[in-house]
Amino acid sequence: MPRSIKKGFFIDPSLQDKVDEAVRSNSRKPINTWSRRSVITPDFVGLNFKVHNGKSFIDVHVTENMVGHKLGEFSLTRTFKTHGSHTKK
Amino acid sequence: MPRLLGVDIPNYKKIEYALRYIYGVGPARAAQVVAETGIDPDTRAKDLTEEDLNKITNAINEHKYAVEGDLRRETAANLKRLQAINCYRGLRHRRGLPVRGQRTSTNARTRKGSRRTVGVMKK
Repeated sequence: MPRSIKKGFFIDPSLQDKVDEAVRSNSRKPINTWSRRSVITPDFVGLNFKVHNGKSFIDVHVTENMVGHKLGEFSLTRTFKTHGSHTKK
Repeated sequence: MPRLLGVDIPNYKKIEYALRYIYGVGPARAAQVVAETGIDPDTRAKDLTEEDLNKITNAINEHKYAVEGDLRRETAANLKRLQAINCYRGLRHRRGLPVRGQRTSTNARTRKGSRRTVGVMKK
């Protein structure tokens, strides 16, 4: 079930601060964040993030289409394994 | 046989059921359309008059129901969007695996298709 609209979308306050700062200073530097649960809002568009996946930070460049998704959706937490992959290398 | 909204040609069934052959019209919408147009629910699709057909088309258009080609295009666009932005859901669509967190260790046959045995390659 989706989140109630009444509550609005969720962004970690700490991340919001970083985004505001980046927008104000027009910085291109990627923002490191652990906040995978934060919703991407229109002011994120064009910024670069590094989203933690539990192990390392994954580069995420936010485009307009991504608005409404959460940061975590773009930073996979699992390695996709196929058969035969161990024979390669 | 009557034609509705382009290519759809339902048949000998009662209209409420015949309408469901339109992609994008299911039980709920079919019942609603029949009720709104005031057509006798017992008429067979082949007995519909030209006027009835117009009424049905208008009712569907008025509600802005996406139907047939438009609906198909819409869903395809949604899929493409998900895949283009490289999000988790798009990835699952690309790999043909379940998208909404179901288990894949067993089952998930609807998405994965019929079983293919994969052998282990030696060296």
